[in-house]
Amino acid sequence: MSTPKIGLEVHTQLSTVTKLFCSCATQGTEEPNTRTCVICLGHPGSKPALNSLALQQAIKIALALGCNITHTMQFSRKTYYYPDLAKNYQITQYETPLGVGGSITLDSGKKVNLTRVHIEEDPAALEHHETYSLADYNRSGIPLVEIVTEPELESPAQAREFLNKLLTVLSYLGVYTEGGTIKADANVSIKEKNYTRVEIKNITGFKEIERALTYEIKRQEQHEVVKETRGWNAETGLTTSLRSKESEEDYGYIVDPDLPTIMVTEKEIEDIRASLPELSAAKIKKYIAQLGIDSLDAAIIANDLGVATIFEKMIQIVPATLAAKWIRRDLLRVLAKTEKTVSEINLEHLKELLVMLHRKEITDQVGQQLMTTLVEQDESPQKLVKQKSLNKISNELSIKGFCEDAVKENSAAVEDYKSGKQEALDFLMGQVMRKTKGAAAPEVVRQQLKELIG
Amino acid sequence: MISEHVANIKTGKITAEEYIMKIIDEAINCDEEYHYFSAFSGTLAIAQAKQLDKKILDNSFDTKKLPLAGVPITVKANICIKDIETTAGSAILKGYKPLYNATAVQRLIDAGGIIIGHTAQDEFGFGSFGANVGNEYPIPKNPIDPSRVCGGSSAGAGGWTRKTIHEHAALCESTGGSIAAPASFCGIVGFCPTYGRVSRYGLIDYANSLDKIGSMTKITADTALILNSIAGADIHDSTSANNPVPDYTAALGKGVQGITIGVVKQALGEGVQQEVANSCQNALEQLEHAGARLQEIELPTTLTYGLPAYYILAMSEASTNLAKYCGMRYGIQDIKNEHYNDYFTRIRTTHLGKEAKRRILLGTFARMAGHRDAYYLKAAQARTLIIKEYQRLFAHVNMIATPTMPFIAPKFKEIQELTPLQNYLADVFTVGPNISGMPHINMPVGKSQGMPVGLMLTANHFQESILIQTGDTLEHTKNRT
Repeated sequence: MSTPKIGLEVHTQLSTVTKLFCSCATQGTEEPNTRTCVICLGHPGSKPALNSLALQQAIKIALALGCNITHTMQFSRKTYYYPDLAKNYQITQYETPLGVGGSITLDSGKKVNLTRVHIEEDPAALEHHETYSLADYNRSGIPLVEIVTEPELESPAQAREFLNKLLTVLSYLGVYTEGGTIKADANVSIKEKNYTRVEIKNITGFKEIERALTYEIKRQEQHEVVKETRGWNAETGLTTSLRSKESEEDYGYIVDPDLPTIMVTEKEIEDIRASLPELSAAKIKKYIAQLGIDSLDAAIIANDLGVATIFEKMIQIVPATLAAKWIRRDLLRVLAKTEKTVSEINLEHLKELLVMLHRKEITDQVGQQLMTTLVEQDESPQKLVKQKSLNKISNELSIKGFCEDAVKENSAAVEDYKSGKQEALDFLMGQVMRKTKGAAAPEVVRQQLKELIG
Repeated sequence: MISEHVANIKTGKITAEEYIMKIIDEAINCDEEYHYFSAFSGTLAIAQAKQLDKKILDNSFDTKKLPLAGVPITVKANICIKDIETTAGSAILKGYKPLYNATAVQRLIDAGGIIIGHTAQDEFGFGSFGANVGNEYPIPKNPIDPSRVCGGSSAGAGGWTRKTIHEHAALCESTGGSIAAPASFCGIVGFCPTYGRVSRYGLIDYANSLDKIGSMTKITADTALILNSIAGADIHDSTSANNPVPDYTAALGKGVQGITIGVVKQALGEGVQQEVANSCQNALEQLEHAGARLQEIELPTTLTYGLPAYYILAMSEASTNLAKYCGMRYGIQDIKNEHYNDYFTRIRTTHLGKEAKRRILLGTFARMAGHRDAYYLKAAQARTLIIKEYQRLFAHVNMIATPTMPFIAPKFKEIQELTPLQNYLADVFTVGPNISGMPHINMPVGKSQGMPVGLMLTANHFQESILIQTGDTLEHTKNRT
């Protein structure tokens, strides 16, 4: 086993309506090269004009990650020749990144420090074919935020956890939606090879990051390591050399003279800070300390802003432990099974269900059935309980009738029980529960049956 | 005088269509010998003229609007005209027809101006003489002596503005002296406003932090009219200025009483042709007679560091601006089955001219990791010092005077012998106001060997009016003497 040192550069698209430097839509028709204009195509004479909403969103991210915001910043031109780059230079931030410092804390308590957070434009998308490639400039100019960590991660699993935690922050801020693309470049080195640094480019998604890093570390353990840039190929599961450090490109950064210096005032920063939602780490702490929720339940609920929001609404009405139990164990299970999202849930219905459970008007078994119906059919659980008489039957007399029937109809089981087979009682209970559609309180049924059989 | 022409058009004394046909005829004939044009937009111009004539005939327009009704306008080849081939004088952009009008072009059209074509230039603006034209483009010739240069880089604009017998204004552009130099060599009024005064949107970039759109006209009054139409903020150019736009024609006829002109003594001494210095001196004395006060000043930082700082910044920016020209998305295309890297290299090797390549190489060098601090960042610091030097002086004087060029238009065979460095030294006076973004004007003030001599006046940021006021005074005192 080696001792690795890993740093990440994560790229994620912002969720603005228009592109970073022009008014083309970031989303819409997928027909290639239709969401383009003279600016994002880099036509001669066109000039970029900054989308101030993108700037605000990026500041929000930097603040949520605990960065210090740069008050006076500029954009730079990073020049290199590639067909996906409309101007053969990319507008990015170099000398003055939007945010510096900041960190993300892993579950183990390990703090991963961030070097910088900055904004840049996405290049076009290339589609490679055997003898040619196609370029789609719909993506050209979409705002990206790049988050760079210090080389402090110690394992592929930590890198994955870091990305996961980062995604949670981004989704809390509404800048990342489930299934959106997140790309990373990584620098990897191991102590056993004197921390000779290798850059890995082109890793998409947080599952890939663990795979790519695991492969690369193993490769470094087994082979000679030279300073170089390698590319990750998700299909083959291999990294391959792109260029050695000696031929590393010199991007010749200069300040982009088309974009004036941006001044961000302390007040603007504070206004954005005030608009930040409570983030998951704070929620988890609060759930455990103030609400007495189990730490695993707390972490799972807080991991998704939508789930956390529902949870916080429900605890206005029912006890937090009950809400946590039902949301985490049942609601999320049914959602996963039906491939639906929390946003599709009818909150009034969920509220009815939890209230009935809290008042013990229905049994857990009925509650579980109703949770499935609630997700699948959007019907009022209260109405269903009435229609199908699913109320918890706790009236001993009415239960007694069902029990008597069960004893009459299953004499063999009664004999078994009498001869000492405990399972026979469970069978009889099952018969009663089936007939009452689960509405009978199990403890009352058990009591009644015992009395009847003697 | 443009204002009289506009009045004649508006009252129906002459029709725009007839006038435009005549000037296009003249332009085409003249072009055969002098090579002032890189494209004509005749069809569009005539359609526009017809439309204007109809409006006037129907009386369906506001007489206060359309201040440039029926004025023929030429546009330097690096400023985009929708649907008209716009090449910045480079073979690499052959066939490029912009999808939009540059903001300045659109504003002139909105004011009633009629665009008749693109004027020739040094490739991407890379030259002081108009001789660094793109591959296979002809070199514009001086209208007074065709064995001499027009001056660059707005060479066609300078030559044609002097040559035409019609009313006309040229929209052109200056990075380091590209308006003043040809105006000086051709003997016309060349005006370059403050950086940011006129939107650069649609201007094909040479050096974005230095590029300024301005004009060339026969007289200062025409300049004021053009500037009225093109000046002002533009959301498409983030570096355009929000300062209010005054009526520049209000500066006409005001005289120069009480104005102080700083005269750079060094600029009238060694290294400047004697007759050039003399003509400038005479013009300044005329202004003194008219009521201005002359004060000797020095510009040590600007004259020492201006040229190197200018060329480093301009070339660094240019080398990134020109990266996009690779035969892929517009302009020249010559597809063969090869790797994109080889294709880009072949297209750029074949279709960029020698000076363009020189500036790309020098500019790329100056911004490389090991050299940035010594060159690009140092040059940016020098620019700040130069601006400070100007502003210190403008606390005491309203304007600064130097010759525009240290010599009259050279002959083609003379410039062939110059090294690149000697070429760059021709800009010694024009780079000062250009690197500091100060407005400046070239006024024709005399002759040497029959060739025009130009005086350059520079004012503080956004003080365009005082330049127009002084230029106008100079024209009228000249008429008296």
